[in-house]
Amino acid sequence: MGRADFSYDFLHDRLITVDDLNPLDIQILFDRADHWLAINQSPDKKHDALRGLTQINLFFEPSTRTLASFELAGKRLGADVVNFSTANSSTKKGESLADTARTLAAMRPELIVVRHETSGAADFIHRETGIATVNAGDGMHSHPTQGLLDLFALTRRIGDVGGKRVLIVGDILHSRVARSDVGMLNLLGAEIRLCAPPTLLPTDVDRWGAEIFHDLDDALDGCDAVITLRLQKERMSGALIPSTREYFHFWGVTSRRLELAHPDCVVMHPGPMNRNVEIESMLADDGNRSLILDQVEAGVAIRMAVLEQLGQRARKNTRPGL
Amino acid sequence: MSAITIRNARVVDPASGRDELASLRVENGLIAEIGDGIAQDEDHIIDAGGAILAPAFIDLRAAIEPAFTPGGETLDSLARAAVMGGIGTMVISPTRDMPMDRPETITGLRAAALPLPVRALFCGGATMGLAGETLSELGLMAACGAAFVSQGDCPIADTVTLRNLLSYASGFELWVACPPRDSGLFRQTVATESEAAARLGLATEPAVSERMAIDRDASLAELTGARLMIDRVSTHDGVEAISRARKRGIEICATASIASLVLNAVDADGLDPAFRLSPPLRHEEDRQALVAAIENGIINAVVSDHHPMDLDRKAQPFSDAASGSISIETLLAAMLGLVHEEELDLVSALRPLTIGPADLLGLPQGRLETGAPADLVLIDGDAPWVFDAGNSVSARRNSAWHNRRFQGRVLMTMVDGGIVYNLKG
Repeated sequence: MGRADFSYDFLHDRLITVDDLNPLDIQILFDRADHWLAINQSPDKKHDALRGLTQINLFFEPSTRTLASFELAGKRLGADVVNFSTANSSTKKGESLADTARTLAAMRPELIVVRHETSGAADFIHRETGIATVNAGDGMHSHPTQGLLDLFALTRRIGDVGGKRVLIVGDILHSRVARSDVGMLNLLGAEIRLCAPPTLLPTDVDRWGAEIFHDLDDALDGCDAVITLRLQKERMSGALIPSTREYFHFWGVTSRRLELAHPDCVVMHPGPMNRNVEIESMLADDGNRSLILDQVEAGVAIRMAVLEQLGQRARKNTRPGL
Repeated sequence: MSAITIRNARVVDPASGRDELASLRVENGLIAEIGDGIAQDEDHIIDAGGAILAPAFIDLRAAIEPAFTPGGETLDSLARAAVMGGIGTMVISPTRDMPMDRPETITGLRAAALPLPVRALFCGGATMGLAGETLSELGLMAACGAAFVSQGDCPIADTVTLRNLLSYASGFELWVACPPRDSGLFRQTVATESEAAARLGLATEPAVSERMAIDRDASLAELTGARLMIDRVSTHDGVEAISRARKRGIEICATASIASLVLNAVDADGLDPAFRLSPPLRHEEDRQALVAAIENGIINAVVSDHHPMDLDRKAQPFSDAASGSISIETLLAAMLGLVHEEELDLVSALRPLTIGPADLLGLPQGRLETGAPADLVLIDGDAPWVFDAGNSVSARRNSAWHNRRFQGRVLMTMVDGGIVYNLKG
């Protein structure tokens, strides 16, 4: 189904959280991501959808894959892409986020992609500048393109996730990925399960529309997909969980444990992985089970789809003479 | 294996409330039958001569010393003292010297306990070194057979750490035993705040320290859904705080040490270091409140709090002496003192030594019913004797009970259907 079939345009001027999206938005983005994924697999990846537009990637947290993914996405769409990262940012010299935002806005970019360690930072940048902002991760709040790419990759592998049983296991409490995935899974009508030690679950998480488990074996029963989350190093040292070996023993996803799930159950991880902490090393490399590299590939396509929609809208709104 | 019938016994079972003259038949390590005329032809017959027959005791708190401690209490020496005291199941608790905070330690100790004449369970240290900072591998310790986890004598000062501990343990449905002490008020004190202690010039902890800690710990247990064990309540206000928490539906249980239940600050006889204990001895009203809390079930278990150490650590002025006393051999006799003083009836006195702790840990023993393990104790309720710490079976001599006159002692202890102690040899 193409866009014309439901005569609906992508109306958003920013992407802060997946909660801003409705199922039609997601349909548009997935359709366009399908298109870009095919082009990305061809030798001629360059396009001119965003030619003339400027995209600033503003990263206050260290990142390799997300920054590279947004940079490639922008460049393949023909935008001029500039990266600002923590190491050389003015905030190191004491500049406030508000001043940084205004300074960058004065350079007239049409798109800002921002990652920041504080929840609400992307929303703040958008309020300050009015420029189309893509949240590339803000604190423990949201990481909408990760949610989109996870579900895009999953849908491509197992079809419509509506009614499918999807388990997210790991550090739900601190994870913006978990929040974004739960938002997407709710929008798409999946049956959601969350599994973690109680110290890594938010209070009142039972109100997220998910079933909560502490025991991974119980949680895996009949699952069609398992999304494992990264455990941050600083959480492994005894404050919230005693040790990595205990974590792996109880919450590590292994091929053996997956026998409790649906026979075709797939495994995902947003990366970067801690092998044999969140996921058994061999399972991560099992092409039949693991979608981990599919996720990375889907990431570029989904970000192209998002930048394309926001960029085209920005182009309309800033047409000279209007 | 031939069966044993103990006949002419006063069968006392707090689980069912039974207290009657009857026979009890043991076969294949289990209680086969209780009643009259149940002995079979080939049975080995023991005539109890009207003595009390009860479930062998379950002691949730006894310590040993690290391996190779010169003259130290070992699992073996403790087990021999335990069976003499009528104990069939003992739980080894973590201490600063031996924090038992690794799953490998639990596995090793359980293997070492296999040849013992008693059942030994192990309580894991809840935080590394009991320092109250870093979680121990609670899940792996539970998987290795830890019965529950405990902070030993070390309260956790930091509420975030305590919250995380309770929260994490709740995922494994483990009891977390916490000593009810406010870390600040408790630090470097040696006695309960009172007019007498002040005159003796002792550094004192106000009794409210206990109530504050119970209120705090219970609030966090409510928040996290954890199972909280108040490890040795010792004050009137502490008992009330537990009662309040239970009314709120919090999963909270409580133990009391035999010393807190039987002795008060006056018994400490001024500055005798033998009576330097933790918790410190309290006022008589506190002791009476504990006895009442046994009667009404607020206290689930009475523990020996057996804490052996080199006498050199006690050969110090009161304030410098280490705290603790050996007490596993005298646990029953001290408890029977409350019965002879008519403070408790026999069934109420035996409940926190049998079915009370058994139910907390989900153990099948601690009750007299067909099919239950034949862990039994035969008691002469009236025999007078004097405890001489110099002759203790425990490897250590530090005792608050030295030279104390008791009435009532263990005649025989049976574990798993085998006689593991017989007073007459």
